[in-house]
Amino acid sequence: MKRKIQETFDMIHADEKLKDRTREFLAEAAGSSRGHSAIFRFAPALCLALIILAGFGGWQLYFRPVSVISIDINPSLELDVNRFDRVVDVKEYNEDGEKLSESLEILFLNYEDALEEIMADENVQTYLAGDQVMSIVVTGEDEKKTQTVYSNVEACTRDQENTHCYHADSADLEGAHEAGLSYGKYMAYLELKELDPDIAPEDVQGMTMREIRDRIGQLSGNADLTDIDGSGQESGGHHQENYGGHGAGRGRHHGE
Amino acid sequence: MRSEEEANRAVEKYADTVRRICIVHLKNHADTEDIFQTVFLKYVLSSVSFENEEHEKAWFIRVTVNACKDLLKSFFRSRTVSLDEIIEKPSEMPKDNREVLEAVLELPEKYRDVVYLYYYEEYTAPEIGRILGKKENTVYTLLKRARKILKDKLGGDEYEA
Repeated sequence: MKRKIQETFDMIHADEKLKDRTREFLAEAAGSSRGHSAIFRFAPALCLALIILAGFGGWQLYFRPVSVISIDINPSLELDVNRFDRVVDVKEYNEDGEKLSESLEILFLNYEDALEEIMADENVQTYLAGDQVMSIVVTGEDEKKTQTVYSNVEACTRDQENTHCYHADSADLEGAHEAGLSYGKYMAYLELKELDPDIAPEDVQGMTMREIRDRIGQLSGNADLTDIDGSGQESGGHHQENYGGHGAGRGRHHGE
Repeated sequence: MRSEEEANRAVEKYADTVRRICIVHLKNHADTEDIFQTVFLKYVLSSVSFENEEHEKAWFIRVTVNACKDLLKSFFRSRTVSLDEIIEKPSEMPKDNREVLEAVLELPEKYRDVVYLYYYEEYTAPEIGRILGKKENTVYTLLKRARKILKDKLGGDEYEA
């Protein structure tokens, strides 16, 4: 019996195609151990987890944003972050924002990873290298949670030149959305509107943050204002600020 | 994480062993490919350092057996098919070998690993016990019953142990 069983199993081999496909799979898996391909690898598990969540009424819990990260350079994006620190929606507020969003796979990523992907994007890097200014505003209804997100976002972008992080109240978020602007650009728009009442939201939609800041600087006749864009003494530096909510002085840099 | 070179070496060295265990457990080729990916990916991601080749081989056998069992439990498992679809070129296997293979595969699942490891891989009962996480006496009992079933099915003194 032993001889016959050995003889039989000796005839069974893994064919070369199976070995090749396994090697290819391993090479792909090794190459995509980080990045968006991992999402596709875990997509079935993710879908199942989502179905179970839905079954327990967790759908709303998962997809309800508790914080919003508004990113403006010229691409304007808003990332809705849920209580589990995952990006559950990406809203684009201009054409460049749409292009940027299409080139990235950041949905359902941890917001810090999503932010890193955005910062590493070639176009964003080109903007920053061209002395443009990136404004990142964190807002949300849950003050404690928003503060945590803000701290992490601030830490994520600490080494990035020409980047400004702000923490703001959520009350203005609705106004920003009604105006069709992302939060960061809306704040800059309100600031500009105080100096130029004729300015309309659509006028600033296509402007870069640098252009808006320069315009504010020109109208206020205060050259120092442009420092918040990194063009003054603190050029190229990293800035952070808490917005006071609805009062004057939004976007002013404390360090000036 | 192990290097691509290590992964390729392992595929070359253990693919046949993994394939044979898949034959013992699974009933179709698609599931076999799933097992190959599961087992070798586990190897690539594993940080286990093997004392020697025997240790490494036993690791592959244990991981493959467990992966097959997990797959059989899976709700999403693919359908089962005939022996002709399990092996690549069934026509090239002589009739008596086909009968032996069919007889082994028709054994209740709990006997199949033991038969394969004892008769083909030539592990002792205590070694099989360690690999499969079974008591030595249980392995002896399973072997005894499996041998009787095979003998009844295949007949003749030729199939005495």
